Amino acid sequence: MTEYAHGFLIREDDCTGCMACMRACPTDAIRVREGKARAINELCIDCGACLTMCAQGAILPTSRTLEEFADFAFKVAVPSPVLFGQFPLEVRPEHIVVGLLAVGFDAVWDFGVDLRLTTLAIADYVDKWSGPRPVISITCPVVVRLLQVSYPKLLEQLIRMKPPREIAGSEVKRHYSRELGLPEERIAAIYIAACQAKTVSIEQPAEGGRSALDGSVGIPQIYNSVLAAARDAAKNGESSGDLDPVRSVSMVSWSTPRPLADLPSRHRYMSVTGLPNVIRVLDDVEKGRLKNIDFLECSACWAGCGNGNLAVDNVYLSQAKLQTLARDLPDTDPRTEAEVARRYGHEDFSLERAPEPRTTVVVGDLRERVRRMQEAERILSVLPGLDCGLCGAPSCKVLAHDVTSGHASRDDCVFLSKRRVDELRRLYRRSK
Amino acid sequence: MPEELLSRSFTLHSHDFDKAGETSTEIKGMLKELGIDSQVIRRVVVVCFEAEMNVVMYADEGTLTFVLTDEDIGIEIADRGPGIADLDRALEEGWSTATDEMREMGFGFGMGLPNIRRNSDTFDLRSEVGVGTTVTSRIRLDGVD
Repeated sequence: MTEYAHGFLIREDDCTGCMACMRACPTDAIRVREGKARAINELCIDCGACLTMCAQGAILPTSRTLEEFADFAFKVAVPSPVLFGQFPLEVRPEHIVVGLLAVGFDAVWDFGVDLRLTTLAIADYVDKWSGPRPVISITCPVVVRLLQVSYPKLLEQLIRMKPPREIAGSEVKRHYSRELGLPEERIAAIYIAACQAKTVSIEQPAEGGRSALDGSVGIPQIYNSVLAAARDAAKNGESSGDLDPVRSVSMVSWSTPRPLADLPSRHRYMSVTGLPNVIRVLDDVEKGRLKNIDFLECSACWAGCGNGNLAVDNVYLSQAKLQTLARDLPDTDPRTEAEVARRYGHEDFSLERAPEPRTTVVVGDLRERVRRMQEAERILSVLPGLDCGLCGAPSCKVLAHDVTSGHASRDDCVFLSKRRVDELRRLYRRSK
Repeated sequence: MPEELLSRSFTLHSHDFDKAGETSTEIKGMLKELGIDSQVIRRVVVVCFEAEMNVVMYADEGTLTFVLTDEDIGIEIADRGPGIADLDRALEEGWSTATDEMREMGFGFGMGLPNIRRNSDTFDLRSEVGVGTTVTSRIRLDGVD
């Protein structure tokens, strides 16, 4: 079975067993045992809800630092559009580029072109798609993982196309290899990520194989240094040569709740943000209710990628800044269109393989499984139904299942066992 | 003779658009937990949902009975309601007696019964005008579309 890599680390020494993460987890992937949170690998979809909830700071993103890419001859930053909304308004996108170069990148990639290419390719794909609708976006890695864990049948509706960051990664390698005469493996394509899930998707793509990117650096990792250098650049009127990374609205829209603002209007497009909403909508897709939608964009984060767990600024503030920035921008621009014309149709954006469902181990034959389910229902009927979590499972229902699968005991319930109460007193005693 | 492993019964309420779809969600959860093939689950979900919607839209009250055997899944939806006068027409794609209000809510495209039939391995529709309608669908566990 695949070992799933995840972007989080629970630091046991700092974990107080407060259960906040367990209660926040949308896939019931956390249990608290012996007063410490533990994650169940196969169920985790890297949404980062636990990390956001942990007041102790005991759950950390496993981020990489720029120094880890020191062995490469040339390091190229592929900045998430979210990055450009994270700075004070007077620090313009071209100053942020100066900041990125100052912290050690050798070049900053013009990612808006790849985003525009992605929109065009999606429009084409949807036109040609004859399978069930809606076609589902692959951009949010959490949603892809959610499909793998909870909606395996909907994976066939997932667009078989690389997400924009991967399209950029391949072109970064080709472009600089040609320009510098270096082999592609000496050039690092590094994504500047606004969420941990993108990092994980680069380390371990859901579809298997290898990412075109060499890794990612979270915005917080470089924020202070980029800010300092970008501020200086703004003050001195220094700019980044000829690169203005935010030239058209499409670059801005990708960090808003409606990323594909430039999708042709012949396509019925729906964008959903926030995991609970995404789950509701996917339930409807499964029932066949959304056949009239051509393309469905789902973002695990409320209000879209701008609210990623590695974004520094409050999402409303950063979106207001981006909107101010977008006010004077055209839908697209000649430079972007020229690049699009050069690349579109010559590059293969298709996914080599589709993400497969995550296999959960099925134990026993159907008769045995029915028996276990009925056993779980019997156990559930004697549990209090309060979902207090004191047993270490997020709900009575989950405890009932854990008991039938042999991972817990019904005596873990404080209503059924005095032993559990004593154990909790011992584990959670505040003063020694 | 297939052996019955599990049987459940759900009451469906008419005009309850708010809760419509809950039964199919519950059945889906159960089948997922039982490790049933996802292709089979999807077909069951579509059958249950469409049948549920038919009761919500047209009938006075209905019952959905779900039976799992070691070979297949049987779904029977029996309602008390107006019944269907012309069974053949009801099975034509796009034929519907839905009101404008129902269409505004995104239902009533005349795909309900055809969809149920398409997703079933065996399908049966019986109706008596003024009394009610019974839809029976069986979906094999090893079946493919």
